[in-house]
Amino acid sequence: MSVNAWLKSQRPLAGGALTRTLWLNTANGLLAVTQAWALAVILNDVIFEGAGLTDIRAWLWGLLGLFALRALIVWLAERSAFQAAADVRATLRDQVHRHLQRLGPSYLSGQRSGALVETLTKGIDDLEGYYARFVPAMTLVMILPLAILTVVMPVDWLAGLVLLLTAPMIPLFMILIGSGAEVRNQRQWKQLARMSAHFLDVIQGLTTLKLFGASRREVEVVARVSDEYRHSTMQVLRVAFLSSAVLEFFASVGIAIVAVFIGFRLYGLAVPVAPWLHVPEIGYLQGLFVLMLAPEFYAPLRNLGTQYHARMGAVAAAEQLIRVLETEPDRTNPGTEPLAATRPLGVRFEAVRFRYEEGREALQDLSLEIPPGQRIALVGTSGAGKTTVVNLLLGFLVPTEGRILIGAQSLSDIDLDDWRRHLAWVPQQPRLFQGSIADNIRLGRPEADLEAVREAARRARADGFIEALPDAYDSPVGERGAGFSGGQIQRIALARAFLRDAPLVILDEATANLDPESERLVQEGIDDLARDRTLLVIAHRLATVRRADRILVLDQGRVVEQGRHDELIETGGLYARMIAADGASHLAQGGIGQGIEDR
Amino acid sequence: MNELLRLWKLFQPYRHWMLFGTIAAILTLLANVTLMAASGWFLTAMAAAGLAGVSMNYFTPAAMIRGSAMLRTVGRYGERLVNHEATFRLIASLRVWFYQHLEPLAPARLQQYHSGDLLSRIRADIDALDNLYVRVLVPVVVANVSILLFTLFLLLYHPFLALSGLTFLVIAGVGLPIWSQARGARPGQRIAEDEGALRAAVIDGVQGMAELTLYGATERQAQRVDALSRRMIADQTRLSSDHGLTQAAVGLCASLSLWVLLWLAIPMVNDGRLLPPQLAMLALFTLASFEAVAPLPHAFQLLGRSLAAARRLFSIVDTQPAVPEPTGLSPRPAHFDIEFADVGFSYPDAPRPAVTDIRLRVAEGSRAAVIGATGSGKSTLFNLLLRFWAPDSGTIRIGGHDILDFHGDDLRRHIAVVSQHTHLFDTTIRENLLIANPEASQGAIEAACRVAQIHDFIAELPEGYDTWVGETGVRMSGGQGRRIAVARALLKDAPILLLDEPTEGLDAATERDLMRALDKLMVGRTVLLITHRPAGLDWVDQVLVLDQGRELARGDTSVIPAAMQATLLPLRPRIESA
Repeated sequence: MSVNAWLKSQRPLAGGALTRTLWLNTANGLLAVTQAWALAVILNDVIFEGAGLTDIRAWLWGLLGLFALRALIVWLAERSAFQAAADVRATLRDQVHRHLQRLGPSYLSGQRSGALVETLTKGIDDLEGYYARFVPAMTLVMILPLAILTVVMPVDWLAGLVLLLTAPMIPLFMILIGSGAEVRNQRQWKQLARMSAHFLDVIQGLTTLKLFGASRREVEVVARVSDEYRHSTMQVLRVAFLSSAVLEFFASVGIAIVAVFIGFRLYGLAVPVAPWLHVPEIGYLQGLFVLMLAPEFYAPLRNLGTQYHARMGAVAAAEQLIRVLETEPDRTNPGTEPLAATRPLGVRFEAVRFRYEEGREALQDLSLEIPPGQRIALVGTSGAGKTTVVNLLLGFLVPTEGRILIGAQSLSDIDLDDWRRHLAWVPQQPRLFQGSIADNIRLGRPEADLEAVREAARRARADGFIEALPDAYDSPVGERGAGFSGGQIQRIALARAFLRDAPLVILDEATANLDPESERLVQEGIDDLARDRTLLVIAHRLATVRRADRILVLDQGRVVEQGRHDELIETGGLYARMIAADGASHLAQGGIGQGIEDR
Repeated sequence: MNELLRLWKLFQPYRHWMLFGTIAAILTLLANVTLMAASGWFLTAMAAAGLAGVSMNYFTPAAMIRGSAMLRTVGRYGERLVNHEATFRLIASLRVWFYQHLEPLAPARLQQYHSGDLLSRIRADIDALDNLYVRVLVPVVVANVSILLFTLFLLLYHPFLALSGLTFLVIAGVGLPIWSQARGARPGQRIAEDEGALRAAVIDGVQGMAELTLYGATERQAQRVDALSRRMIADQTRLSSDHGLTQAAVGLCASLSLWVLLWLAIPMVNDGRLLPPQLAMLALFTLASFEAVAPLPHAFQLLGRSLAAARRLFSIVDTQPAVPEPTGLSPRPAHFDIEFADVGFSYPDAPRPAVTDIRLRVAEGSRAAVIGATGSGKSTLFNLLLRFWAPDSGTIRIGGHDILDFHGDDLRRHIAVVSQHTHLFDTTIRENLLIANPEASQGAIEAACRVAQIHDFIAELPEGYDTWVGETGVRMSGGQGRRIAVARALLKDAPILLLDEPTEGLDAATERDLMRALDKLMVGRTVLLITHRPAGLDWVDQVLVLDQGRELARGDTSVIPAAMQATLLPLRPRIESA
């Protein structure tokens, strides 16, 4: 869909406020005509009829009433114009945000989050100019000049002709100038998004920059990026200013011609037009009236020129929005069936293939079984496909070929929301969200009471440090858990999983980042959690998988061996070699660990 | 208003631009008023002359009308160009100014800020300052000059006309702005906060989407963002309504001024004190003159937003770095041993000290490890050594010099860090490596990457070292990121090496590769490692075991078992704890 069509298609979101704005502005324009007439009558009466205050008292009081009415209308029109855009903005921000959520994490991984954030915040706000300013200006430009022309024509068709002939020059020139501006404006918006993304990157990496003494050098980059932004902004503005200067020029010329034509006739001079035109006579009253209407005639056109810039801002923002909205979720036919299997859940991968892109095969013909109630460990070197398996299970990715069975049901038929309700997941680097610690633990079960939250924290061995905080469970959490150590964040995330009480739990190296004491405690917690549940543990450290009922060894996207620890050691395959390497790496670090194990 | 004064100082370098822009704006305004007044006079005079059958010179007023119409058009174009150019130059310099003040605060003083909030300051808050210049500063000067000129002009005809004109101009140009500024201050402040909160919530929602999705929390997050978005719009609605009201009021002032002028001037025309063309001229002049004050109420309404933005910027700029920079030159240590002498430190508002009475001496070229559970204070030691915080008591010395005598950057020049958190910037691999040493040659980069065991991986990428990494680029696994960190440390080539759990979260094969890389990196350097794993440490010369910020044991590795016993930490390698 073209940007313009899209912007127009969102108009219904503005509701009645937009229509109200148009009516109010039209009424204001018509009252301006009345006001011009009243003023012309007063001046004419005083100047040429010798009228005194008493004679024109009624006109003066009428004028006062008009002034008050117009002021009221201006106020109401401004309010409803804002309201119209406000409704569009609120609704669209919600829609686009929800659409992003539907696209899910797999879409986000290919995007700059800074640019997306910019689109969702400033981009949406930029739409205001379109709905609050441009659309009313565009509509009024078709109503008011026409209305004024129908008033002027019977009074003085010569002046009317001048207006009629000069008016089309204005939009013509604007289009001419505007077409180049569009491209520049696009570039300008990209520049802005780039600048934002860059600043976010710098802010989030400031400590790293500092460690390398590079944070001062970054000053130059900040200066350069800001200056580039200035440059592109000015390019856009120069065009905008030029177009409004042209507009102003034509309006001035139009008014001047009207003034000259009227003045000449009042003075009795011949008007410089073709002799076959029978120039009408005109009186001072009509002349003054028409002259005062001339600026009103051009006002909507000039206003449109001013608001044209607002439209360009909105168009640029809309392009980003459309790009997001027109991206379809990977899963074109989402499953609708409720999950049939009861707890504990079993999972089977049947000949699953997955490609991130052509030639980047992540999984090839992967078949594996996670029987209900068992504790399964997935091991393999980095890049073996462990994370892909997890993302497939979580429903973030869809198999390129093959299928994933939950009990007897294919995952692609199951309603994903229902499926995820049966999952708990602790990622390798859990994220904490703004809010309290309790909110964070409640993430998957918002209705849980504080007692349940405490119990979950206790089982995740997080209760100790949480209760030591001044506000305990109400303590606020900073971005990415600022203020908490990696181990503490891990345990809060684990508490989340406990509270979720799901039949299938996926732990992505849950005990990384823990000191031995916490690790032991968390391990106890996990044993606790494993009861009556299916547990899939992704292990980067082989040490954590010994207790698994079965170990699946992944290599280059397939399962190369599986079995219990002892069995696999005996087989002497890849796992045994990895274990040896693991031991060796401890050995490389020193004999103490090895020595203790030997004991 | 203190902010205004401070902002004015920041505007100083651009005062020539401002002067030029203001003069252009005044000329434009005067041209416009002249155009209107002359037209009214011209038309009436022509009609009167025509009616009376007398001749008049119509060339002069006609030329005046043409001239002022041209001047108005050209002047407005020039004025806008100059003023906006000046504004954007100013804004660009303010971003640099803000960054220069932000940079010394990291990381200690910035922990409490969400990066979305900081982004909002460097972007939106600085943008909000453009209002001050284009919409407040220039129009205020223009309005003052024009009100003076207009009043003098009316005084030529009658003091009452001047008084009435001045009254309404002052109401519209001073009264309304004061009113709308007062009304706009609070919502303006709130909108600035709303914007920051919305941005932070959107960042949370975007960057944390995987977990939100899995835990079925997307709906709540969507509602949260929607609520924040609507709250911001509601605050804006109030401002907008006030904006409409003042707009209407300015119009009404102009109309009333005209109305009062008619009441005063019509009797003057009747008794001949005022010529008829002058009445028409004054009527149109009055309406046009209000263009001088029309932009002020809205500008002053936005002043609240701008000042709030300025306050948010100044609050960062005024924050003192956690560790002040010394005034003298940094010492040049001859050797690089590290010494902690009775160091104690508490984080602000923390219930208990993070570390107490820490004593540790690491001789140049030797290796030490600090072992302790989460929260035992080992990361604090690194923060202190890197001069991100200053100890409350005791001294830390490098090569015998108190580290507080060093400038932060000079100190950190001697130190390289490899930690589990490596920020990869959204740029190429090469740029990410050059952070450590911008002058490094391709050969040096490749050599460092070979040692760090990452060169082969990079060389296999289609674009090699020019591959884009970070958010939009190739995702690096934890192990690869860590090896980039090692390569950075090698390129930096500092005599002191800090290792913060460098192998955490890596699989055995990766860990082994990394350890091999680290082995090479450690040669000839003073090394300090922090870890929670007591196992596998026989490559260190001494250990310090911490418990709740206090020394539990210190000595060679033989002290570990006893210390572990004391804290009931299981001294088992991970292989058994599973």
